[in-house]
Amino acid sequence: MSLFVAQDLVKRFGGLVATDHVSLSVEPGEVHALIGPNGAGKSTLVNLISGLLAADGGSIVLDGVELTSLSAHDRVRHGLSRCFQITSVFRGDSVLDNLLLAAQAHSRSSFRCFGRRAGESALRERALELAHTVGLADMLDRVAGTLPHGVQRKLDVALALAARPKLLLLDEPMAGMGPEDSQQMVELIARLRSEAAILLIEHDMDAVFQLADRISVLDYGKVLASGDTAYIREHPEVQAVYLGVEEVR
Amino acid sequence: MDSIFVFEQLLNGLGFGLMLFLLAAGLTLVFGIMDTMNLAHGSLYMAGAYIAARVHEAGGSFVGAVLVAVVATVLVAFVLELLIVRRLYARDHLAQVIATFGVILIADDAVKAIWGPSPVMATTPAALAGPVQLLPELPYPAYRLVLLAVGLLVAIGLYVLVNHTRVGMLVRAGASNRKMAEFMGVRVGRVFSFVFALGAALAALAGALMGPISAVQIGMGEAILIPALVVIVIGGIGSVRGAFVAALLVGLVDTAGRAFLPPLLRSVLPPALAADLGPALAGIAMYVLMAAVLILKPAGLFPARA
Amino acid sequence: MSDKLHSAAIPSSGGVARWLPWALLVVLALLPIVGAELGLDYYVGFVRRMLIVMIAATSLNFILGYGGMAALGHAGFIGVGAYTVVALVDAGVSSAWTAWGAAVLVSGAIAALIGAVSLRTRGVYFLMITLAFAQMLYYLAVSLSAYGGDDGYGLYSPLELGFGRTTGNAALFFWIVLAIAALVFAFASRAAVSRFGLALTGIRDNETRMEALGYPVYRLKLAAFTGAGALAGLAGALLASHNNFVSPSTMHWTESATLLVMVVLGGLGRRWGAVLGVAVWLALSEVLKLYTEYWHWPLGLMLIAVVFAAPRGLAGVFDRRRAVQ
Repeated sequence: MSLFVAQDLVKRFGGLVATDHVSLSVEPGEVHALIGPNGAGKSTLVNLISGLLAADGGSIVLDGVELTSLSAHDRVRHGLSRCFQITSVFRGDSVLDNLLLAAQAHSRSSFRCFGRRAGESALRERALELAHTVGLADMLDRVAGTLPHGVQRKLDVALALAARPKLLLLDEPMAGMGPEDSQQMVELIARLRSEAAILLIEHDMDAVFQLADRISVLDYGKVLASGDTAYIREHPEVQAVYLGVEEVR
Repeated sequence: MDSIFVFEQLLNGLGFGLMLFLLAAGLTLVFGIMDTMNLAHGSLYMAGAYIAARVHEAGGSFVGAVLVAVVATVLVAFVLELLIVRRLYARDHLAQVIATFGVILIADDAVKAIWGPSPVMATTPAALAGPVQLLPELPYPAYRLVLLAVGLLVAIGLYVLVNHTRVGMLVRAGASNRKMAEFMGVRVGRVFSFVFALGAALAALAGALMGPISAVQIGMGEAILIPALVVIVIGGIGSVRGAFVAALLVGLVDTAGRAFLPPLLRSVLPPALAADLGPALAGIAMYVLMAAVLILKPAGLFPARA
Repeated sequence: MSDKLHSAAIPSSGGVARWLPWALLVVLALLPIVGAELGLDYYVGFVRRMLIVMIAATSLNFILGYGGMAALGHAGFIGVGAYTVVALVDAGVSSAWTAWGAAVLVSGAIAALIGAVSLRTRGVYFLMITLAFAQMLYYLAVSLSAYGGDDGYGLYSPLELGFGRTTGNAALFFWIVLAIAALVFAFASRAAVSRFGLALTGIRDNETRMEALGYPVYRLKLAAFTGAGALAGLAGALLASHNNFVSPSTMHWTESATLLVMVVLGGLGRRWGAVLGVAVWLALSEVLKLYTEYWHWPLGLMLIAVVFAAPRGLAGVFDRRRAVQ
C-alpha cells in the first residue's frame, strides 16, 4: 500500500485551473520527484498537499489517515512536513533557537506560559540532534539570517525534520545554490530517505536523476507522465515540453 | 415615516457619502500606492474647514473662501509630505500610525492657537441659505443640493483623471503593483507627491463644504477620519472605484440608520429600550457593515491588488 | 547560548536587571507613606493611575510587541472592564474583588469573541476591524442610559476590600494596585520567555513557517488576544475604582491610539517597553499641563522624533546590543 496518495486534486484561481485533477502517490522509503517547467503548478500543488492552500476538490491520505479537511498544522502532526522554495527560517534568531522552536511544536503544549523554555533539556537535546542530522552542530550560535544561503537551506530542512515526518515535502531545495552546495544537499537528501519518504520538487535535473526512484512531470497543472527515471527520460512528450528545453539551455 | 421623508434622508445620505468619498479618495490612493497609513488626513480636512469658514467670514465670497482653503491646505500638505510623510514610505504601518498621530496632536494645538479653542460658526452662503422646492411636498436646502452636485462633479472628474489620463494611468499602475511600476520606469515618488497633494485638496474641499452643515471644531478631523478609513477598507485599499461605492454605502447606511432605526425600533420595542438602542445601533451600523464585508471579503469589495 | 540572545530583551547588564524591579517596587511601596507626610496626595493618586495604565499597556505590548497583532481597539476592553464594575455596583454588588474578578472574566470573554472574528484578517485590516469592534462597544456604552449614557456613571461609594476596608483608603488601594501591576509585569516577563511567548514571537516573525512547523497559529493568537483583553479589562475595572467614575470616552478610538503610542514609544516587545512608555507619556503630559494649555504638540513632536530617531522605542535606546545588530 502506498504511504501517501493524493487523488484528483483541483485548484482554481478565478478562471485559471492551476491544479487540474492531479493524482500522485509516494511509496514508503521512496523519493518521488516532481518536475515541470516554470508555471506548471508545482508550488500550488505543494501548498495544496501541505494545506497552506485549500483545495477545490480531491483527497489526500497519508498512512491511512485522511488529511483532506485538516489544517496545515494538523497535517504536520500527522507526519506531513515541508520546506519552502524561498528559504523560510527565523532570520533574527540563532540556529539553536530556530531548532528549539521547531522541536517545541512537537513536544507538549505550546500554550504553557510559565517556566523558561530555555531550561528544558529534552528540547535542547532534540535541537542538537536535528543540528547533527543536517550538519549544523558547529554553528548553533550563529544568527540564521547572517548564514550563507546553502546553510540556511539546511536549516530549513532541519526545521521540517523536527516533526519526525513520514513524508517530507522538499520544495526546490537546490534553488539558488552553486554546484558545491547542491552536491551537499543531494547527499543530505540521500541520507534522509532512511527517515522519511520524500516528495521532491526540483529544477536541477542532475539532482533529480541522482535521487529519484520515480518521477512525475507536471505541465499546465496536469500530470503529463509518471514513471521511473528511464521511462521519463525516454518519454517523447516529456522530452518535448521539458527536457528539450533543458538541453537547449 | 412617509416617502418624502425617506427620499429626503436618502439625499442626505448621498451627500454625506459623497463628502466621505472626497476624503477617502486621497486616503486610499496614498495607502494603495505608497502603502502609507496617514492618520493626519483628517487634520487636512479640519484645516480646510477652518480656513474656509474664516475667509468666508472676512471676505464674503464663499467660492473664494473654498478656493483659498484648498490652496492653503495643499501648501500645508506639501510641507507635511516633504518633512514627514516622505520619510515614512519605507517604514511599517505602526511607525506611520505613530508619526501621523503625532501630526494630529500638533495640528490640533496649532488650530487652537490660531483660531481659539471654541468651535467656529461657518455660515451658509446667503444665496444658498433658502430651500429649493424639489417636489411639491419636499423643500430641500439649496446648499445641500450644491453639495451633492459638487461631490458628483468631483467624483466624475476623478474618475476621468484616474481612468482616462496619463497621470491616472501612472497612479493606477502604482496602486496595483508598485514594484512593477517602478521597474517600468514610473517615478512613483513623484506620482505620490502629486497624489498626496490631490488628496489634500479633496480633503480640504470636503472640509470647506461640510463646514456650514457640521461643527467646525478641534477634533473634527479625528471624528471624520474613522468613517473615511472604514470606507477605504470596505472598498478595498487602493481602489478609487471601491472608495466611491463604499462611501455611498457608508453614507446611506449611516444616515438611514440614524433616521429610520429609532422610529423603527419604537414601533416594535418598549419605548425605553428603543430610546436606548436606537442611537447605538445607528452609530454601530457602518462598523457592522465593515465587519460583515471583511468577513466575507477580507480584502474589501474591490481589491486593487491581484 | 540561546539565553544570551534572548537576554537582549532584558537590559544588557544582568545585575541591574535583577535588582532594579525590586528596588522600584520598594520605592513605589513607600510612596503612599512618604506622600502623606509631604502632602503629595495628588501625586500618589497620579502614580496609581499610571500603574493601572501600565497594566493595560503591558497587555497590549504582549499581543503587539511579542505577537505582532496591531490592535487599535484595546481601549474597548478597558471599557468593558470598567462597565462591568458599573453594572455590578448598579445591581448592588459592593465587593471590589467580585467586581474586579467579574470584569476580568467578562472582558476576556468579549475579547475571545472579537478575536475569533478579527484574527481571520491581517495587517491593516486587522487594525481596522479591531477598531470597528471598539467603536461598537463605544456606541453601546453611549446608548446605555441606565448607566448614564454619554454623561457617564458616578460610583459614589467605594468598593469593599474586606476586613472593613474599602478602596476609599487611598494608601491601601495604592498598594493593591501596585501588587497587581507588579504581578502582571512579572507574569508578562516570564511569559515572554516561556513556550507560549516564544511561539507567539515566532508567529510574529514568520506566521506561515509556524503553521508549517505544526503550530496551531490561530488558536495561539486567540489565546494571547483573549488574555490581553482580560488584563485590559482588569485595568479598566481598577480605573473605574480609581476615578469613581466611568464614561464612554474611556473607549474612544483616540484612547486606543494613545495606548498603542505609549507602547511603541517605550519599545515594542521589550520587557520594560510598556512601563517606560506609560511613565514617560503620562509624566510628560502632567508636567506640560502645569505650564501650558498647549500641551499636545510637544508630545506630538516627541512621537515624530521617536519614530525617526529611536525606531526601537525608548527601551531600545538603553539597549546597545540590539542597536548594533
